[in-house]
Amino acid sequence: MADNVLWGQYIPSDSVVHRLDPRTKLLSVLAFTFCCLFLTTWGGYAAATVLAGGQLLLSRVPFRTFGRAIKPVLLIVSFTLLYHLLVTREGIESGVFVVWRILLFVSLASLLTLTTKPLELAKGLEQLLKPLSAWGVPVEAMALTVMLAIRFIPTISQELDRMILAQQARGFDIKSASGHRQGMAYLSLVVPLLITTIQRAGQLAMTIDARAYGNGKGRTSYRVLTFSRIDYAAGGLLLACILLILYL
Amino acid sequence: MVYELKDVGVRINGKDILQSVSCTLQKGRWISVIGQAGAGKSTFAQVITGLTPFCTGEYTHNGQSLPGDRRGKRTAVPQAGYVFQFPEQQIFETTVYKELAFALKVKGAAPDKLDEAVKSVMGQLGLPESLLQQNPLQLSGGLKRLVAIASVLIAEPELLILDEPTAGLDPLSRIALLKKLQAWQREKRRTVLFISHQIEDVAEYSDEVMIFTQGRLLAHLEVNELFLRQSKLLEQAGLPLPEPVQLLRWMEAASGRSLEPASCREEDILRLVRPVWQSRGLHHGG
Amino acid sequence: MLVFDQVDYHYRRGVPVLRQLSFTIRQGEFTSIIGGNGSGKSTLAKLMNGLLQPREGQVKLGQLNTLNPEDLRGIRERAGLVFQNPEDQFITTSVHDEVVFGLENLRVPGEQIADRVNEALRAVHMEEYAEAMPHQLSGGQKQRVALAAVIAMKPAILIVDEATSMLDPQGRQSILDVLHSLHRQGMTIIHITHHMEEILSSGRVLLLSRGEIVFDGTPSALFGNVSLAEHSLALPFAVRLHQALGLRAPLCADWKETITGLWSMS
Repeated sequence: MADNVLWGQYIPSDSVVHRLDPRTKLLSVLAFTFCCLFLTTWGGYAAATVLAGGQLLLSRVPFRTFGRAIKPVLLIVSFTLLYHLLVTREGIESGVFVVWRILLFVSLASLLTLTTKPLELAKGLEQLLKPLSAWGVPVEAMALTVMLAIRFIPTISQELDRMILAQQARGFDIKSASGHRQGMAYLSLVVPLLITTIQRAGQLAMTIDARAYGNGKGRTSYRVLTFSRIDYAAGGLLLACILLILYL
Repeated sequence: MVYELKDVGVRINGKDILQSVSCTLQKGRWISVIGQAGAGKSTFAQVITGLTPFCTGEYTHNGQSLPGDRRGKRTAVPQAGYVFQFPEQQIFETTVYKELAFALKVKGAAPDKLDEAVKSVMGQLGLPESLLQQNPLQLSGGLKRLVAIASVLIAEPELLILDEPTAGLDPLSRIALLKKLQAWQREKRRTVLFISHQIEDVAEYSDEVMIFTQGRLLAHLEVNELFLRQSKLLEQAGLPLPEPVQLLRWMEAASGRSLEPASCREEDILRLVRPVWQSRGLHHGG
Repeated sequence: MLVFDQVDYHYRRGVPVLRQLSFTIRQGEFTSIIGGNGSGKSTLAKLMNGLLQPREGQVKLGQLNTLNPEDLRGIRERAGLVFQNPEDQFITTSVHDEVVFGLENLRVPGEQIADRVNEALRAVHMEEYAEAMPHQLSGGQKQRVALAAVIAMKPAILIVDEATSMLDPQGRQSILDVLHSLHRQGMTIIHITHHMEEILSSGRVLLLSRGEIVFDGTPSALFGNVSLAEHSLALPFAVRLHQALGLRAPLCADWKETITGLWSMS
């Protein structure tokens, strides 16, 4: 309800990570993800974890907030682990590696959204993809879509929360229902959740149109993104670390 | 049926939303809850229904004590129904029938009983039966609101909480809705907790008024006592006087007479003021 | 400047929402459009800046026509629209960015944007909240941000579609004050509402009922000549008072002024 920090939402601060150019952060996450795909040893994973942890510390995002961002993923992760142990029989090691990889990736991705305003993120993406617009790819519209997607995540979770509240107000408590009934109850919320979300999205689209967005072509930019020394330094450092990890 | 709060407080994320509220809600009364935005009105109403757990104090229903919880676990309070501020906040089913039947269905009512109850509540609020299979979220604003209210009334709550039930309704629909709700409340001797910004509606329909400021209950008193004798409390809470009461004050100042209307309702005030106005030359020197 | 010429609109064939609407809004007017729930007010607002196109007839803003796709951008730059629900009008994630969004669409050069943002936020008294995020704001504050985002774009016409109906009296008044101060600075205002008290201070009222305009004139002429109950509306207190006391003086927005004047004459 009166949660001031919402899942996956930007948290204002003045840390090094916050000040980085969004493009630097986007590229770093990309490089890091790539790096994770090639890791095969315990040592490699440990090093990657230290690297991710270091970035988390630098960002000064409170650990609790971060934990909350990761929480929803834990369920999926434990399923994956079980699947690996019971079905594929490839052994504990590969299962743990897969899970570790997911966790690393999710941590970095949420670090990105926690330290970057959606609008800046969209700008960064737009600039990175700019060359593609020569081939007719609607880069501006794609960037706006990404921003709206991030903005909508907390809205949808609030929406779900208020539906649960509305059911409780009429005598049905989904959280204390028994397993089978609880599953059914959550399923029955999917359709109305979609309907209200689509309605809100429609209204938002109307607002965007009314503010003369057009097709996004030729918009000026208030924030001119510039790589500063700190971006080169951070980017270089990270790349070096990643290469080192891969070498190991 | 009595709901009783003693020194109840709510603290969320280190912020006091509600502080030491003590009150008794008696059966068969229309109790209005007023205050500026953020004064704690909605939180108070949610504590009464158990949708927001309280952290400190005591809460009893018919002498039975109800649990609070510091970590935010909710416990629904029996026999209390809550109509949210916006119908979109409350509607979650895909047809009007399912929406209305939900409260009874989770209690395990038989299908034929359900049909009967749905029909009866729709009749009470004047909803046409042609709506039954429609999607409630795609109805017009006014109908959506009626469906949201019907979905709560169907469970026959002893205590009905209405959070700004008329926001977004045009004037005639607003008056019609309030009259229907008042008829239901009087006929069945139920308690209504009415949260409203429309101070004129509060003066028109209430028996009692609770005024909140900054998370505290400033006063809880009879409606006529508040508007006719203690209107200073409204100023303290940063709230406007209803226009009929402003007229009354103006007329008292102009005529130099003290006027005692039968109630603070507009009809009674206008009836009292008319002769004073017509005889203005006689009382007034200039 | 804004001309509706024989406009028809329907969402579904055979269920007309607006019928044969013809009227002209002149530059510098403060016009209120009133009507009950379902009278077609919001559809009318969306037709005004080309979010919807008429099925019959045409809507013109100066030389621009909402039926021409290439005119739409120009129309939306000149006619700003604020909607009813403050929750669904926040595109970005901070107050500042919200105002920036529209300015970028107008291709305002980056270095001018900061000034225009500050100016717009000052006009709605939200300059202290520039860095705030939407969930930290009240409904009235969000609505003022939506208003700022539109007025920063400096539209010639501002259309406000029931922007006050979800707000408390303080929030409502703050929006109305902004509208009147913009009007004094020369902006053309179209205020769509069903709060009768809000129309008393506007120069012109259009009454919309079941998709047709049934009245066009001054507020006092409206209360004198039209049976409002037939159109789901109620008389404001000032008018009920006039009737109860049998006053024959002209109606004015502030009833206290009227009776004070009359009392001292007796």
